[in-house]
Amino acid sequence: MEDRVDLQSAFAELLEDAPCGIVVTDPDGRLKYVNETLSRWLNLPAAAEERPQRLPELMTGPGRLFYETHLAPMMRLQGFAREISCSLKVMNGAPFPVLLSGVARHDPEGSPVRFDYTIFDARERRLYEDQLRAARRESDELAAIVRTSPNGILRVQENGVILRWNAGAERLLGRTFEAVQGLCVQDEIRLEDDPDWFARAAATCKSKPEAVFETVDSKGQHFEITVVPIEEHETGAKRNYSIVLRDISARKKAELRLKVAMNEMKHRIKNTLTVVAGIAKQTLPAEFHASFTGRLQAMSKAHDILTSEGQKTADLMELLALTEEEAGGAERFRISGVTAMLPSEQATSLSMALHELTTNALKYGALSEPNGYVEVACESLDQRGGLLRIVWRERNGPPVVEPTRRGFGSKMIDTILKFDLGGEVEVDYRPDGLQCVISFGKGKER
Amino acid sequence: MITRNKVVVSGLTSGQPIVFIHGFGCDQSMWRQVVPSLAEDFRIVTYDLTGMGQSDLSAYDPGRYADLQAHADDLLLIIDELELEKAVLVGHSIGATIGLLAANREPGKVSRLVLVSPTPCFLDDESHGYHGGFSQGDLEELISFLDENHLGWSAQMAPTIAGQPAGAPAADELTKGFCRTDPAIAQHFGRVTFFADERSAFERAACPALILHCDDDALVPMQVAEWMRDRMPGATLKVLTATGHCPHMTVPSDVVAAIRDYLKDF
Repeated sequence: MEDRVDLQSAFAELLEDAPCGIVVTDPDGRLKYVNETLSRWLNLPAAAEERPQRLPELMTGPGRLFYETHLAPMMRLQGFAREISCSLKVMNGAPFPVLLSGVARHDPEGSPVRFDYTIFDARERRLYEDQLRAARRESDELAAIVRTSPNGILRVQENGVILRWNAGAERLLGRTFEAVQGLCVQDEIRLEDDPDWFARAAATCKSKPEAVFETVDSKGQHFEITVVPIEEHETGAKRNYSIVLRDISARKKAELRLKVAMNEMKHRIKNTLTVVAGIAKQTLPAEFHASFTGRLQAMSKAHDILTSEGQKTADLMELLALTEEEAGGAERFRISGVTAMLPSEQATSLSMALHELTTNALKYGALSEPNGYVEVACESLDQRGGLLRIVWRERNGPPVVEPTRRGFGSKMIDTILKFDLGGEVEVDYRPDGLQCVISFGKGKER
Repeated sequence: MITRNKVVVSGLTSGQPIVFIHGFGCDQSMWRQVVPSLAEDFRIVTYDLTGMGQSDLSAYDPGRYADLQAHADDLLLIIDELELEKAVLVGHSIGATIGLLAANREPGKVSRLVLVSPTPCFLDDESHGYHGGFSQGDLEELISFLDENHLGWSAQMAPTIAGQPAGAPAADELTKGFCRTDPAIAQHFGRVTFFADERSAFERAACPALILHCDDDALVPMQVAEWMRDRMPGATLKVLTATGHCPHMTVPSDVVAAIRDYLKDF
C-alpha cells in the first residue's frame, strides 16, 4: 500500500513540477487545471478569481485569433494539435514563447469532454528559429541575385572542378550545369592561347585579393573574368573559388568600331594635309613652299602619334625620334634624359617647334656641317615629373652670328612655345653653337 | 470548379439547396456536425475555398485572391455548375462575408443568407466609432505569427502523437487531414481575412440575412453584431449562448435549430 501512495505523490509532483506547462480545458477552452510550472512561468496570481478563465486569455493577441480560428476547430475535428508556436502573456513581463501541443479526450459517444495540453519553453528555440529565418531570408535573396544575374557565376574547387554554375553561365556558355558539373573549368571554358588560365589566376590569388583579366574564348566571345578565393565561414580556409564571367563582347565591338572610325579620320586628315601641300606648291613661290610643306609634315607626324592608338597623350621620346629622323639619325641627334607623356596640344606644338629648330640647324646651324650634331637633354625639374626642361645644344657647327632680323621660324617658336605649350624659351646665340632652353609645366590631359 | 474546390453534394435532391462556406483556418469538415441533421430536408453543398483544405492549391493565385470577391466569384460558378436555384448560403466568419459578396453580385441566385459569427471588419476604426476588436498592431502581429508557424508546420512530420487513441487513422493521413493549410497560403489568406473591410458591402446587403452571434465570442464584440443588425437591410440577429467563434462546432444543435427556424416559412 505504501508503494502506491508514493507513486501517487510522485505523479502529483510530476504533474505540478514537470519541466513543461500542463493545462487542461473543457471543449470551450475554459481552464480546468494549470500546473505549477506554467503558473510560475506566467506569474499567474494565486487567487482563483484573479486568474484567467480561458486558454486563449493566456495568449497574446495573435495567439488568441489563432486559437479561435484554427486551434479550437482543429482540436474538435482532428482531436489533436502539435507544436503550435505561439507566445503566452506574462504578468508584468515580456511574452513567453512556447510550443503547444494538445490532445482531445472523448466520452464513449465520441463527444469531446476534455482537452489536455502540454506547453514547452521555446525561448531558446525561438531565438534559433529567428536566426534561421533571417539566414534563410538572406540566402534566398543572395540566391535570387545569383540566379537572375546576367553574369556567369561559378563556384569551383582549388583544382578547378566545377561545383556550381548559375543560369547566367548557362546562357553565356550554352551548357547546362548538369553537363559541366564535376568537370574542370579551364577545359569547359577554353580560352584562346591560354589553356591554363584558371591555374594561373589561382596562383595570382595567392598574392593578390583577386585575379581579373579580359580574354576571348575559343568561340570568339569576349569576357572579363574575375577569380576570387572564397573564405570559409568557420575556418577561414580558402579551398574554393568564385569565378565571375562578364560578357564584354559588346564593349569590344564598340572599341573596334571606334578604332575604325579613328583610322578613317586620320586618313582623311592626312589626305587634307596632302591637298593643302599641293595647293601650297601651286600657289607659293618655290622658296616658300618647301618650308611650308615641312611644317605641315611635322604637324601631321605629331598627329600620327596621337591618333595611332586613340591616344590622348604622346611620349616625349617618340616625338624626339621623329625629329631625329629629320635631323639625319642618332649620330647627328643625340638624345638623353627622361621621357614624359604629354597631352595632345603640348605634343603638337612641341613637335612643330622642334621642326623649326631642326630646319634652322640644317640650313644655318650645326647640321649644315658634316660633323655637326645636336644634343638634346630632357630633364625633370621636380619629383613628380610635372616640370620639364629640354636643352637643345648645337655642336661642331659654323660660327654663330646672332641674326639681325627675326625670321618667321624664330617668331613661330616663340609664339608656339609661350602660348600653346605654356612654357619659357631662352635662345642663346653662343659662338660655338646655338643653345635653346625650353622649360614648361606638363599640362593636364583633356 | 467541382473538383477544383472539392465540392460535395448530399442530402435531399429535391430539397431547398444550402451551400456552406467555411472560414479562415479550416475547411468544409468544420460543418460536419451541422450537415447530417439538415440533410433530411435540404440539398446540402459543401466545398473548400480555393487554396484551402483539399482544393487545388495550385489554383491559388495570390494576386487574384487578394480580393475576397474572387472567392465570391468561385462560389457563384459552383452555384451555376450545380444549377442551384434560390440557394441559401451559410457562411462562417470570413465565409459569411464571401457569401454576402456573392449575393450582392448576383442577388437573383441567392434567396437568403445565414451568417455564422460574421464581422464586416476586424479592425477598429475610431474615426467612425467602429470597434472591430483589433488594432492594426494586433493584426500585424498575427501575420508574423502565421509566418513563425511556417517552420513548425512544415517540420512536424513525426508520426507519434502522445495519447493518440488506439485505432486512430495513420498519422500521415492525419497530417494532410483537417484544417491543414499550406503555410504560404495561410499567411496570405490570413492577411486578406483580417484586414478585410467590407462594411459598405454589409450595408448594401441584397438578401435577407440571419446573423448568428455567440454571446462570448472572443473575436467579434457584441457591438459589431449590433452594428450589423442596425445597418444591414433585412437582417435578423440571433445571439447564441456559446463560447468562442465557432458555434457550429460548439453548439451545433442550436445552430441547426436556428437555421431550421429561419427557413421554416420558405
